[in-house]
Amino acid sequence: MRHVVIVALFVLTMTFLVYTGLNALNPLPTQAATQAVVVDRMFHLEFIAIAFLFSLITVPLVYSLIVFRRRPGDTGVGRHIEGNIKLELLWTIIPLITVIAFSYMGAQALGDTLRVDPQALQVKVTGFQWAWRFEYPDYGITSNALYLPVNRQVLLRLESPDVIHSFWVPEFRVKQDVVPGRETQLRITPTTIGEYTVRCAELCGVSHAYMRSPVVVVSQEDFDAWVAEKQEESTEATGPDAGRGQKLYETLGCKACHSVDGSEGVGPTWKGLFGSEVELDDGSVVVADEAFLAESIREPGAAIVAGFAEGTMPSYALEESQIADLIAFIESLK
Amino acid sequence: MEHKDKQHAFQLGVSIFIVLAFLTAPEFLLAVNFPSVPLLVLIALAKAALIGYYYMHIYRLKQAEEGEDRASYAYKTGTARLGLWLFLLSDSFVFGGLLVTRFSLLAMNRPELNQALGLAVTSVLLISSFFMNRAETAMQHGDRKNFLSGTLVTIVLGVAFLLGVVGVEWRTAPFGPGDGAQGAVFYMMTGMHAFHVLTGVLFLLVIFRNGLRNRYTVEKHWAVEAAAVYWHFVDVVWVFFYPALYLIGSVL
Amino acid sequence: MKKILSIGLVRGLVFQMIGTLIGALLVTAVRAAMGLSAFSARTFGFTEPAWVFGGFVGVLAFVYGTRVLDDWIAWARGEDTPEHREDEPGWRKYFSPSLDHKVIGIQYTVTSLLLLSVGGLFALIFRTELAASGLQFLSLKMYNTLMSLHGIIMIVSILLGIAGVMNYLVPLMIGAPDMAFPRLNAFSFWVAPPAAVLLLSSLALGGFDTGWTGYPPLSARAPLGMQMFFLGVWVAGWSSILGALNLIATVLRMRAKGMTAFRMPIFVWAAVATSLIALTATQLIGLSFQLVMFQRLFGMGFFDPAKGGNPILFQHLFWFYSHPAVYVFVLPGLGLISELLPVFVRKPLFGYRWVAMSSLGIALVGFLVWAHHMFTSGMNEYLRVPFMYSTLLVAVPTGVKFFSWVATLWEGKIELPTPMLFTLGAIVAFLMGGLSGPPNAIVATDLHLHDTYFIVGHFHDTMFGGYIFPFFAAIYYWFPKATGRRLNEKLGKWHFWLMTPSFLVLTMGMMRIGLLGMRRRIADYDPALGFDLTHTVLTVAAFLIAISVLIFFYNIYITLRKGEVVTGNVWNSRSPEWQVPSPMPAHNYDRPIEVVGEPYDYSLPDAPYVRFAE
Ligand code: HEA
Ligand code: HEA
Ligand code: HEC
Ligand code: CUA
Ligand SMILES: [Cu+2]
Repeated sequence: MRHVVIVALFVLTMTFLVYTGLNALNPLPTQAATQAVVVDRMFHLEFIAIAFLFSLITVPLVYSLIVFRRRPGDTGVGRHIEGNIKLELLWTIIPLITVIAFSYMGAQALGDTLRVDPQALQVKVTGFQWAWRFEYPDYGITSNALYLPVNRQVLLRLESPDVIHSFWVPEFRVKQDVVPGRETQLRITPTTIGEYTVRCAELCGVSHAYMRSPVVVVSQEDFDAWVAEKQEESTEATGPDAGRGQKLYETLGCKACHSVDGSEGVGPTWKGLFGSEVELDDGSVVVADEAFLAESIREPGAAIVAGFAEGTMPSYALEESQIADLIAFIESLK
Repeated sequence: MEHKDKQHAFQLGVSIFIVLAFLTAPEFLLAVNFPSVPLLVLIALAKAALIGYYYMHIYRLKQAEEGEDRASYAYKTGTARLGLWLFLLSDSFVFGGLLVTRFSLLAMNRPELNQALGLAVTSVLLISSFFMNRAETAMQHGDRKNFLSGTLVTIVLGVAFLLGVVGVEWRTAPFGPGDGAQGAVFYMMTGMHAFHVLTGVLFLLVIFRNGLRNRYTVEKHWAVEAAAVYWHFVDVVWVFFYPALYLIGSVL
Repeated sequence: MKKILSIGLVRGLVFQMIGTLIGALLVTAVRAAMGLSAFSARTFGFTEPAWVFGGFVGVLAFVYGTRVLDDWIAWARGEDTPEHREDEPGWRKYFSPSLDHKVIGIQYTVTSLLLLSVGGLFALIFRTELAASGLQFLSLKMYNTLMSLHGIIMIVSILLGIAGVMNYLVPLMIGAPDMAFPRLNAFSFWVAPPAAVLLLSSLALGGFDTGWTGYPPLSARAPLGMQMFFLGVWVAGWSSILGALNLIATVLRMRAKGMTAFRMPIFVWAAVATSLIALTATQLIGLSFQLVMFQRLFGMGFFDPAKGGNPILFQHLFWFYSHPAVYVFVLPGLGLISELLPVFVRKPLFGYRWVAMSSLGIALVGFLVWAHHMFTSGMNEYLRVPFMYSTLLVAVPTGVKFFSWVATLWEGKIELPTPMLFTLGAIVAFLMGGLSGPPNAIVATDLHLHDTYFIVGHFHDTMFGGYIFPFFAAIYYWFPKATGRRLNEKLGKWHFWLMTPSFLVLTMGMMRIGLLGMRRRIADYDPALGFDLTHTVLTVAAFLIAISVLIFFYNIYITLRKGEVVTGNVWNSRSPEWQVPSPMPAHNYDRPIEVVGEPYDYSLPDAPYVRFAE
C-alpha cells in the first residue's frame, strides 16, 4: 500500500511536470484564425491526457525497476499474482469512458471549425502541379497570392486539374485535400493581420516541396485597395510582357524543371529555345515558334522533345494571356 | 461414413443445384420487369446460402470421421480442408473489394450488356456445379466412371462459360476497358472471375488426368474434393457478380 | 559453377532474370504482331506492359528455379513425394528451399534484417539531405524515390520479420513437429526475395514519387518504377497471406495434448490475431494496387476522374488493408513483450486471459477504423465522426496490455539482461507512439497534424517501438535456442543504450517540428521556419541508431565465431522449447509433449507447465 501511495504522488508530480514542460516548449504555431482557437483548445486537453497517461505508465515502471529489482544474491521469485478481475475491469472501463468523452468533445470541436457564415467571402482555389491560383468570383480578379480581409469568414472552394493536393496554412490549423474531379471546401476566419504561407500538404510529385504561395491577411480597407488595384491591373494588361512572364516562371514552378541559363534540368532549358529547331521523340524536327511553344504549354503530351519523358511536365490550366507572357519571357532569353 | 449419409449428401446436392438453376430464370425475368434491388439481393443471398449450406454439410460429415491419429490421411485431409477454406475466405475479400468498387463507381447503373448471353453463361456455370457435385459424390462411392464423366462435363461447361464471357461478351460489348467507369468495372470483374474459372478448369484437368490413371480411391481423394469446393466457390462468386453486372440498376 | 547453381537462391535469381526477359520479349512480340509500338526509349527499352508482364513472369521463374514447386508439380502429375526432406548440412541449407519451419524462420529473419539495413541505409541517405534546408546532393525525384522505398522496404522487412519469429516460435510453443503445410511455408518464404528484387528494381527503372501509399492520380502518372513497386508489393502480399493461412491452420490443428486455448503461450494468441488480419485484409491492398496497374496498362478509369473514376475510392481500398496492417506489425511485438516480461520478473503475466482477448479486440476493432487516414481527404464529411469513435476505441484494449505489463512488473524480482532491456525499451517507445495516436484520431486536431512530421514521429514510435525493439529482444532471447551460442551481453548493452536515447530524440524531434508546421515527404524545407537545427540533430540521431545496429551485426558475427556456448535453459524459462537442449533438433520434440499446468507460473517453482511423454 505504501508503494501505491508513493507512486500515485509521483504520477501527479510527473503529470504536472510533463504538461508544463510541453507548454514551455511552445509546441504550436501562432494562432491566426478562429478555427485555430478551437483546435488548440482540443490540443491542450489532449496534452493533459497524454501527460497523465504517460506518467501513469512510466512512473510505476521506473519505480518497479528501482524498488523491485533483484538484489545480488537473491534467488527468490516474485509474488504470485495471476490477475485481479476488479482491477482489469477498472482499466477497461475508465479508458472506455475517457475515449468516448474525447470523441464527443472532438466531434463538437469539429463542428465548431465547420460553422458556416452565410456572408463568407468566396474564393475559388486551384491547386495544380505545383502552385496555387486564387480567383475571386465576386470581384472578377485572379491572383497568385491569397489576400484575405481580417475577421471575415472565407469559403475556399478547392479544385485541382491534375493530382491530389492539400491546402494548409499552419497558423490556421485546418487542412483540406484538393481532389481532381470534385470540389472540396474549407472555411477559415482569419483573426490576425500578417503574412503566412499556404503549403501543399499532400505529396503531389516532384516539386511538391516547393508548392507554396503567400497568404496575406489585411484589414478590410487594405483588402479593398488591393482588389481595386488588381482590377485595374487586369484591365491594363494588354499585350504579352516578359517581366510578367518571368514572375510566372518563378511562381508557377516552371523553374523547377526549366533553366534559363542553359544548364540541364528535368525539362529542356529555355535559353535560346525561341526560334530554335527542336527534335521531337518521333524523330521529326520543328521550329520552336510561338504556336509550338503555346501548344507545348497548353498540352504537354502533344509533342515530346527528344530525350525527355512524356508525362513529366504537368498541364497547367493557364490563361491565354499568361501563356503569351511566358512566351514573351522565353523569347527574351536569347 | 454411413451409406445412408452419402445417399443423403448426394440427394441434397442434386436438389440444391436444380433449385439454383431454376432460381436464376425467375430472377432474370424479375430483374428485367421490375428491377427491385432488395429482392434481387435476397435471391442472390438465398442461392449463396444454399450452396453454403451444402458446403457445411460435407464439412461436418468429414470432420466427424477424422479421429485423433495425426499421421492419418483423414486428419491431414481435415487440416488441408481448413487451409482451403481459409484461402477461400481470403480470396472472397478480392471479390468483395470488386463489388465495393462496382457500387462505388456505378451506383444504381449497370453496363449495357447482352442479357441473353448473360443468362446463358450464368446457367451454364450453375449447371456445371451440379455436374461437379455429381462427380465428387461419385468418387465418394468409388464410382470412377461417373466421376470421370461428371468431371469432363464440368470442364466442358467451364470452357463454354469462358468462351461466352471472354470470347463473345468481351468482343461484342459496346465499350472497351478504357471507356469510362463501366468499362473498367465490367472488364475487371469478369476478368478476375474468368481468371479464377480458368484456374479451376486447370485444376479439374489435373484431377481428370489423375482419375484416368486411377489415382483416387474412396478413402483418398482429397484433390477431388478440393477441386469441387474451389469450383463451387467460383460459382458462388458469380452468383453475386451476375446480378451486380447484368441485373441491378438501370442501363447506363 | 555447377556448385553455385545448386544453391536455390542463386538459381532463383538467374531464373528471374531470364524469366523477366522472356516475358518482356513475349509481350514485345505480341505487340509487334498487333502493330503496336514494340519498344520505347522512355521506359528503358521495353514498353511498360512488357516490363510489367516480364516482372511477373520473372517472379514465377524465380520460384520455379528454386525448386520449391517440385513437390506440387509431382502431385499434379499423380506422383507421391516423401513426407520429409533432409536439409543439406551446414550453412547451405539456408540458401535453398527447406521444409523445416526453423530453417524457414531463420531465412525470414535474416532477409528481414537485410531489408532493414537497406531501408535504413536509404533513410540515412535522405536524412543527410534533410540535415540542412536547401537541396544538397539529391534531386527532388531521387529524394522521393528513396523516401518511398524506405517506407515500403521497412514495411516488407517487418512483415518478413514477424513471419520469421512466428514461424520459428509458434510450432515450438504449441509442441508441433512443424507447420501444418511445410511446402506452402517454403513457398511463402521464397516468393519474398523476388518481391524485394522487384521493389529495388524500381530504383533503376525511373523511380517513383508517391510515397508508400501510392495514391492515384499521381501514381497513375509516375514513372515506370511505380509499376515495379505495385508488382513487388502485390507479390510480397501473397507471401504474407499464405504465411498467415498456414499459421492459423497450425495453431488450430497441431497443438500438443492439453494445450487448450488459454494454456497457449500468449505470443501464440498474438500470432493468431495478426494472421487473421493478414489473411483477409491483405487482399485489398493487392486489389487496389492491381487496379492502378491496370489503369496504367489498359487505360481503365477506376481512379481517373476524367473517365468517371474516383480517386478517393482507392484510399478506401488501400487503407482497408493498410490500417489493419499496422496491427499486423505491432501485435506480434506486443505478444513478445507479454511473453518475455514474466520470465525476467519471475511472476505470472497479470491477467493472462484479458491480455489474450485484447489482441483479438485490437485486431477486430482495427478493421473498423481505416478512414482515420482520410479525415482531410474530402470523403463524406459525416463519416469522420464515427471513424473517430471507432479509432479511439482501439486505445482501450491497447491500454489493457500496458496496465497488465505494469502490474506484471509490480512486486516481481526484476532482472535486466539485454532481452529485458529491449522489452522495457519497447514499452516506453510504443507508449509514446500509442499516446500520439489519439491526437491523430480526433478529427479536429488531425486537421492540423495530417501529413506532418507529427505523423512521421507517431508511426516511427509505434513501428520501431512496437516491432523493432521487441524483434531485437526476441533475437537476443532466442539466439541461444537457434544456434547454441549466447550473444555477447556487453555489446548487447551498448546496442541498447546507444539506440534507445537516439531513437527517442529522433521521434520526439519529429513530433515537435511536425506540430510547428513541418510537412512530410518534402526534400527541402523553408529555412524561414527555423527547423535547420532540429533536423541536424535528427540526422545525427539517425546515424547513432545505425551505429548501434552495426554493433548488433558485429555481435552476431563475433558470437557465431566464438561466442559463449550454451545448450541449456539459459533464461530459466517455462516454455516447452527451452526444456530440450539447444540448438533445436530437426523435428523438434523427439518425445511428444503434454501440457499439464499454466504457462506463466514463474512464482510457483514446483508447478510444471509441460511434461514429456515417456
Ligand atoms: C505499428 C504501427 C501502428 C500502431 C500500433 C498505430 C496505432 C495507432 N494509430 Fe497510427 N499510424 C501508423 C502506424 C501505427 N499506428 C502509421 C504507419 C501511420 C501513417 C501511415 C502513412 O500515412 O504513411 C499511422 C497514422 C495514423 C493516423 C492517421 C494520421 C494522418 O495521416 O492524419 C491516425 C489517426 O487516427 C492514427 C491513429 C492511431 C491510433 C489511435 C492508434 C492506437 O492503436 C494507439 C493505442 C495506444 C494507446 C492510446 C496508448 C496506450 C493506452 C493507454 C495507456 C490506455 C489509456 C489511453 C487512453 C484513454 C487514450 N495513426
Ligand atoms: C519499421 C519501419 C521503419 C523504420 C525502422 C524506420 C526507420 C527510420 N526512419 Fe522511417 N519511415 C517508415 C518506416 C520506418 N522507418 C515509413 C513507413 C515511412 C513513410 C514513407 C512515406 O511517407 O511514404 C517513413 C518515413 C521516414 C521519414 C519521413 C520522410 C519524409 O516524409 O520525407 C523519415 C525522416 O526522417 C524517416 C527516418 C527514419 C530513420 C532516420 C530511421 C532509422 O531508424 C534508421 C536507422 C538505420 C538502420 C536501421 C540501418 C542500420 C544499418 C546499417 C547502417 C547498415 C547498412 C549496411 C548495409 C546495407 C550493408 N522515415
Ligand atoms: C516537372 C517538370 C516540368 C515543369 C514544372 C515544367 N515543365 Fe515544361 N517541360 C518539361 C519536360 C520534361 C519537357 C520536355 C518534354 C515535353 O515536351 O513534354 C518540357 C517541355 C516544355 C516546352 C517545350 C520546350 C521545347 O524545348 O520545345 C515548353 C514551352 C514548356 N515545357 C513550358 C513550360 C512552362 C511554361 C512551365 C511552367 C508553367 C513548365 N514548362 C513547367 C518539364 C517541366
Ligand atoms: Cu501539391 Cu503537394
Ligand atoms: Cu491507421
